[in-house]
Amino acid sequence: MAGAAAASASRVHYLSDFCCPLGGRAGAKPHVLRHQAEVFLSTGREFVYVYDQEGGVLTAVYQFPDQVWHLQLLAIRRALYVLCARTGIYCLSLDNRDRSVIQACEDKEDDTCSTPVIHVDPDACVLPNAALCAFTVLDDMLVTLVQGPTQWKMQLFERPCPGEEPGLGGQIGEVELSTCTPPGGVPGKPSAPCFLPVLSCAFPPDSGAPHGHPQGCGCFTLEEALFGLLFGADAALMQSPVVLCGLPDGQLCCVVLKALVTCGLAPGDPKALVKILHHLEEPVVFIGALRAEPHAEEEAGEPLPEENVHSDCLVALGHQGRTLAIKASWSESGNLVPDLREYCLPGPVLCAACGGDGLMYHSTPSNLCAVDLTRRDAPWNPEKPGGAAGGLPSTLCPASLNICSVVTLCVSSRAPTGGAELLALSSKGRLITCSLGLNSEVPVPPKMTMANAGQKIKELLLDIGDVSERVSFLKKAVDQRNKALTSLNEAMNVSCALLSSQEGVRPISCTIATSWSRLELRDVLMATCTLENGSSFSLDQGWTLCIQVLTSSSALDLDGAGSTFTYTIPVDRLGPGSRREVTLPLGPSESGALDLPVTMSCWLFYSLREVVGGALAPSDPLEAPYLEKLPLNLPKQDGVCLPLCKRTVDMLQCLRFPGAASQPAQAPCVPGPAREPVETFLKTCQAPGGEPAGAAASLRAKYLPPSTASIRVSAVLLRTALEGGHSGSHLCSATLQWLLAENAAVAVVRAQKLSSIQGTAPDGTDVNLIVHEVAVTDLSPAGPIQAVEIQVESSSLANMCRAHHAIIRRIQTMVTEQAAQGASPPDLRMQYLHQIHANHQELLREVQTLRDQLCTEDEVRSCSTAQKLLQVYKQLRNPSLVLL
Amino acid sequence: MSGQITSTLPQTSSSSLDLWREKNNRLVEQARQLTGDSRLSLRRQQLAQDTLEEFGELLLTLQGLPASVPALPLELTVICNYIILKASLAQGFTEDLTQDVQRGVERVLETQNQLEPKSQQGLQGLWHSVLSASSLLPELLPALHCLASLQAILWMSTDHLGDLALLLKTLNGIQTETSEDLLLLLKSWSPPAEKSDAPLILQDAEGLRDVLLTALACHQGLQELITGNLPQALSRLHEAASGVCPPSVLAQVYTALGTCQRKMGNPQRALLYLTAALKVGVTCALPLLEASRLYRQLGDTAAELESLQLLVEALSATPSSALKLHIEVELLLPQPDPSSPLYCGTQSQAKRLLASRCLQTGRAEDAAEHYLDLLAVLLGGSELRSSPPTSSPGPCIPELCLEAAAALIQAGRAPDALTVCEELLSRTSSLLPKMSLWENARKRTKELPYCPIWVSATHLLQGQAWSQLKARKEALSEFSQCLELLFRALPEDKEQGVGSNCEQKCQPDVALKQLQVATLLSRGLEWVASGQDTKALSDFLLSVQICPGNRDGSFYLLQTLKRLERRSEATAFWREAQNQQLQENATRSLPLYLETCLSWIHPPNCEAFLKEFGASLLEVS
Repeated sequence: MAGAAAASASRVHYLSDFCCPLGGRAGAKPHVLRHQAEVFLSTGREFVYVYDQEGGVLTAVYQFPDQVWHLQLLAIRRALYVLCARTGIYCLSLDNRDRSVIQACEDKEDDTCSTPVIHVDPDACVLPNAALCAFTVLDDMLVTLVQGPTQWKMQLFERPCPGEEPGLGGQIGEVELSTCTPPGGVPGKPSAPCFLPVLSCAFPPDSGAPHGHPQGCGCFTLEEALFGLLFGADAALMQSPVVLCGLPDGQLCCVVLKALVTCGLAPGDPKALVKILHHLEEPVVFIGALRAEPHAEEEAGEPLPEENVHSDCLVALGHQGRTLAIKASWSESGNLVPDLREYCLPGPVLCAACGGDGLMYHSTPSNLCAVDLTRRDAPWNPEKPGGAAGGLPSTLCPASLNICSVVTLCVSSRAPTGGAELLALSSKGRLITCSLGLNSEVPVPPKMTMANAGQKIKELLLDIGDVSERVSFLKKAVDQRNKALTSLNEAMNVSCALLSSQEGVRPISCTIATSWSRLELRDVLMATCTLENGSSFSLDQGWTLCIQVLTSSSALDLDGAGSTFTYTIPVDRLGPGSRREVTLPLGPSESGALDLPVTMSCWLFYSLREVVGGALAPSDPLEAPYLEKLPLNLPKQDGVCLPLCKRTVDMLQCLRFPGAASQPAQAPCVPGPAREPVETFLKTCQAPGGEPAGAAASLRAKYLPPSTASIRVSAVLLRTALEGGHSGSHLCSATLQWLLAENAAVAVVRAQKLSSIQGTAPDGTDVNLIVHEVAVTDLSPAGPIQAVEIQVESSSLANMCRAHHAIIRRIQTMVTEQAAQGASPPDLRMQYLHQIHANHQELLREVQTLRDQLCTEDEVRSCSTAQKLLQVYKQLRNPSLVLL
Repeated sequence: MSGQITSTLPQTSSSSLDLWREKNNRLVEQARQLTGDSRLSLRRQQLAQDTLEEFGELLLTLQGLPASVPALPLELTVICNYIILKASLAQGFTEDLTQDVQRGVERVLETQNQLEPKSQQGLQGLWHSVLSASSLLPELLPALHCLASLQAILWMSTDHLGDLALLLKTLNGIQTETSEDLLLLLKSWSPPAEKSDAPLILQDAEGLRDVLLTALACHQGLQELITGNLPQALSRLHEAASGVCPPSVLAQVYTALGTCQRKMGNPQRALLYLTAALKVGVTCALPLLEASRLYRQLGDTAAELESLQLLVEALSATPSSALKLHIEVELLLPQPDPSSPLYCGTQSQAKRLLASRCLQTGRAEDAAEHYLDLLAVLLGGSELRSSPPTSSPGPCIPELCLEAAAALIQAGRAPDALTVCEELLSRTSSLLPKMSLWENARKRTKELPYCPIWVSATHLLQGQAWSQLKARKEALSEFSQCLELLFRALPEDKEQGVGSNCEQKCQPDVALKQLQVATLLSRGLEWVASGQDTKALSDFLLSVQICPGNRDGSFYLLQTLKRLERRSEATAFWREAQNQQLQENATRSLPLYLETCLSWIHPPNCEAFLKEFGASLLEVS
């Protein structure tokens, strides 16, 4: 394998598959470690796997009571330390393993699985503590980080050995770090935090450590100058290891271990012990160190033994990719100064590792990159005057390794070739190795022999497999973006078409029609909106038809502002030429009321979030927890709004005519609240003593004279206006037809040439419309003017008003249209007009005063005032005025 | 009202009430068994944690039902047990404990049917309405008083003394504005006794009151001691000592009484208290430290050093702590900070104190041994049970090395002193300015490199060591290097200057000047010894210019001028110097190594010579 690795720049080998819960559970933190040929691996679940890389077999599986959060191997002591969520730290002896495996095998002889699962004995827990979040183990000490109710607490213990009875006597020191936000969840039972703190240990050179730590364990030796600069002269003098701690709030702090010895069991003074190095402002996910400048010996061509490589650059990575690198450098005057730089790498960072040769590897869901932290362009020269000595590169250029979704990494150098080998676990649970050749120049193809041909082909196939996995991921993302772009383009076209044809015929139109229909024993006025796409574009995903229904305020409810209700109907693919109908109930409501007129407005809405948001949000489940942290966050309401039409539904459209011959089946049901049929029956049977509203209305109709209102319109005016549609027919009938044009009864009126009709209002009271011709004599000096009088009669004052209002509205529209066409009014007697005008002014003034009185007076007097007011209104509704 | 509820409670529920009561009693027994063992193990702690969780579950069960009078005594007892266990496990009081207490009070109010309007009043108002309610049943009182004592403890721990006073008044049934003295109020409160068949409780109201009483007296006594109100402090501390007082607290109280007596000028009585504190036997460190202060004040150096020696030994033992599952006085007393009279520090701090006292009292050999021990522990092996004797930010170990070197020179062990200095320089060499860059930089930029002041001091001591070994050339070179560093490097970082001396703070610029003078005089004396009087003269002159009126400088200058027969110059200098007051050497606030170094340079017959010189000048004129 090593020979093959030398041949090419990078080569991926697939080792084994492990089932992974990745992305599913919060706080899952997979780990992979290598010691010689053994690979120790946790996938974020309860299991720790031991895999023999040379034999290619799984040698052991350990099961812990909860998720495994951290692994660390102390090779020199042959011990594996495991942090189990909400339980504590376990210590497994690697020497005893064979025995326990044999035992387990005997236990489960009949089991079919090839590798037995060893349930870890609770006695192996050397440090039970449910609040433990991180640890790092040194040769003779164990440093832990505990989440307290308000603060992080770092504790130092004598290193517990496997099988040792846990005791608090081993605690050497304790210090409180900065404040932390307490985790949510049930108190006493901490829930899994989203991000775990990161601990690592920095050793000064010549301190004898870190022996027995495999690489990537978070322990490293820093070069003297950087060590002293970061941690101070005392730490350098004492040659004390320093624990570096990266917290989820972004703080990077350090504690000198030899100082973390407290008096008694009282916690140490945090001000003296804890030094904050930096604040990344996003959760710290990785702390590491690397050699950014080649050693003098190395430059001379002699590779240094691994343990003598002292790192000269400290690196910390935030979750979103913010990267901190610190190096020691000398100022112009010869002072030692820190060279501290922040970079931005692509995030979210899944894991990272530091390798030799100044390379750091960092993995995001879409790529695994190698980042070079050496300053290759300007090699450092201590004797060279001027020039910033030994600086860090000004920008970082990640070089892709074409592997995606690596969740944990381990770097080791392979001595024979000098290149590095990455051991990685992908999000799908595949354990792979990636050999990175030292020389990435043109690879010389090795001579193909029969012996290695099979191996070669196998490797190639694996390479293809990995690339195809990556391609499919990228392709999916590109497809989504393309789809979003197409959709946006269509939306753009539709918007342009609609907005440019503001006046003329619109390519996309919406018409509204009303009709009565019977629903659940109750007659309901239905509005049917028809959306018609006459354009050449289709309305796709993202478009919504919005219909707003605005009722006018009820006359009885003085300060009611009327209600607004908006229906949103997604338009799911409406191609050119097709139409869609939407039917909405307008009323009467549960209480039987239908407050006319009702205004309906329609518009189209295009949601950017629905279309673009989907493309920006990664579909990979791995990234799901980070979704809300996307920088491009569209507000919920963002979109395009295109108004289509507006329509008012008034009394004339809602009238029903049970007497009209063509609609025998449409006898209006007893109006009012929808109730049980039996209940309705009982209600109607009730004696007049306890009369309900409907009965009161019918009584009123019986005994009170109906309210009336009349409008006179000049016959000439009407004739010209109605010329087109109703030519030939009688004028009165034509007028009635015109008024009921939007009502279903218009056909009957036309057929029977009716000039008066008896209708029923939505609430059941009758409304009569009578049209007849009159001659107005005293208005014009030229003689009597032919006019048409439209009379409205109803036992319900409110319905009469609504009908009157509806008629007035129509006539108003007609008159303005006629005026626009320049019809000349006939000669009029001005004085008479003045008189009428003055009369009306008088009446209006009276109305004003009466209304004011009504507000201030008590009940008895207000009754008579109201009576008077009604009288005046009646006079106003029956004017002697003619519309000419 | 309560009668109604009793009747509505079905008969069967009384049996489940019994079950819950049994569970409570079982859990209390379990906790008591855990307390008994003196060995503190994590497994034991885990068991206690489990017990706490079971208490929590039991509480949830009880509070899931509507509050009723028959169940309330048990419910309140379970709340108390839960809080006591939680606080003692966490070794402190957290905010959520207050909420637990409030929940309990609200449950009582619920049965009194008066919760709704009172919910706005805050905790103090709730307590007032619960305790002053007419419908309060006598069988509820023991548990309610226990809860009240926990509330009092919580308020004391958060320093809400006003609330505490009001609660105590309500508990005592005092309506009027009487005494605000918390101790009196506490003493006059007698919680009702528990009935024999009551559910078990970890700590009853009376026990909690006693804890509170002692803690309060102790706290107040210490406050008075710090502010200097000694008679008041004395009486409060006596109060604390006479109450229920665990041994560790008793030792602290006796020590504080000793401090108090010492400050009042009664050393014999102070000694009696310290002896009593030692007899308590839990922790000897604190009384020993206080004893050393007392002997120092009395001038009994032998006894002082002996007690410091014992202190160092006492601090090497790790205190054994047992698992305590009840609220103790210690929980209510804050950890002493370094400024407190009850702060005794770490072993290395004590060792350093011992070593420096030895050096100051002229026992250089002992001092050197102690310093070497300390350095061996700190710089040597991997053992971690020692921390640097610093409690303030900034490096402390360089200074310690310098003190060690000074002690070694004083003890006549110049080669050892050189070793210490070389070790110091070699270990920090990577942090020091690069001389090669410095040379280059000198030509181009005005910016001076920063060099910690202790680097130059190291060169001074190295020079002194070489001088002791009669190696003139090396000594001169060290002194020159020291001067070069001193005149270039201004301490930019005050924190890292000489002023970081842990005990005596002094102005860094004063220390810098004295260091320059000491080095100049040392080099001058070297020149004199090698017969180069003119070079010596310029050094002496410079020292007097840096620090006008310095006695040692003036002495050496005049002596050299006299030897060179430059009488007129000497006379002129003398007259000029007469105009300025000759200053005493301001050595009081200097770092110990510099103080020691200055003592070597100080001429023994300085005063006599100056007097004689002045007289001879007068004769001539």
